[in-house]
Amino acid sequence: MTPLERRYGCLLHAYPAWYRRERAGEMLGTLLEASPSGKRWPSFRDARSLVIGGLRVRASLVLCLSILWAGLGALGAGYNFILSAHVPDAVYPEALTPGWVGEPNMIAVAAQRGALTWFLLTIPVLVAGLARLRRRWSRAGAPGGWRVVSIAWAAAWSAGIALMFQIADWQPSAPAIYACSRNQNCVLAGYGHAILSPGELAICAAWLAIGAAMTLILARTARLRVRYVRDGTVPGT
Amino acid sequence: MREPTYFVLASLLDGPLHGYAIIQRTAALSAGRVQLATGTLYTALDRLSAEGHVALVREEIVNGRARRTYGLTSSGAGALRAEASRMAEAARLVTNRGRRAKAAGAARKASPA
Repeated sequence: MTPLERRYGCLLHAYPAWYRRERAGEMLGTLLEASPSGKRWPSFRDARSLVIGGLRVRASLVLCLSILWAGLGALGAGYNFILSAHVPDAVYPEALTPGWVGEPNMIAVAAQRGALTWFLLTIPVLVAGLARLRRRWSRAGAPGGWRVVSIAWAAAWSAGIALMFQIADWQPSAPAIYACSRNQNCVLAGYGHAILSPGELAICAAWLAIGAAMTLILARTARLRVRYVRDGTVPGT
Repeated sequence: MREPTYFVLASLLDGPLHGYAIIQRTAALSAGRVQLATGTLYTALDRLSAEGHVALVREEIVNGRARRTYGLTSSGAGALRAEASRMAEAARLVTNRGRRAKAAGAARKASPA
């Protein structure tokens, strides 16, 4: 095995094992045919294309983002649930959310940043999901069908976001919370409900269900592609 | 349809080819402009196969490695033709312009108002 062959082999590890079993030999052959004799190192262009191609097969960015989105949302729901179990009786001016006694600042800050990340991720994940659905439906030979699915998809996302806003109480019209220290000095601690009602817990659960369902939808499109390459068969032949 | 995809399909018009031959043919067809990297080629082939535009034609062993030959399916040829006529139409918007402007100029000169 020449050094060049070994180095290309290394780069091919960007692809998942099942894909390499299927394709690595063929790709290595093409790579070696395309490289002039005496070449010892893969070109930057080849290396880049292999790494990007591998990442594409391995886990689509959309899926990663959507899992991150769903995960952050789940963490947020959990955090709000914990907060609900603690009636605020101390003031943390730096925290946007009402804290509980002994809540480390670090957690409050992490919660804020997580919420911000979750919020910012919403748009790219929504758009990428729509693009993905569109491609999938047009490939399935049902032009126009994707519109219905996309509307359902967008509606599910909107519902999810509305639910999260509901439990996180980010809306400005939420009632003010006064945090009182033990000697009865009360200060405005934030806005929202300190304690989740059973109805809001149901909203948390509904959000988790929506997040899981949407992640599943994206994961299914990824699996479809896997099945094709594994079988080695091509539809329409 | 992105340019590499278009050229991959176009390279198969004259018959099935294997990976490296597709790279060579696309470079020749585009006068060296489209230089497919191997990773890009196989990403495109995966997608085109999944869409049914390209199909596996032959599989042989060369130097102990699999060599697969890919061919254009009828749906691939149709998609390629559709893209070609779309581009030709888009090109006409610009290429016909000079002629039409010249014709309009001539008409203006012919009828002084």
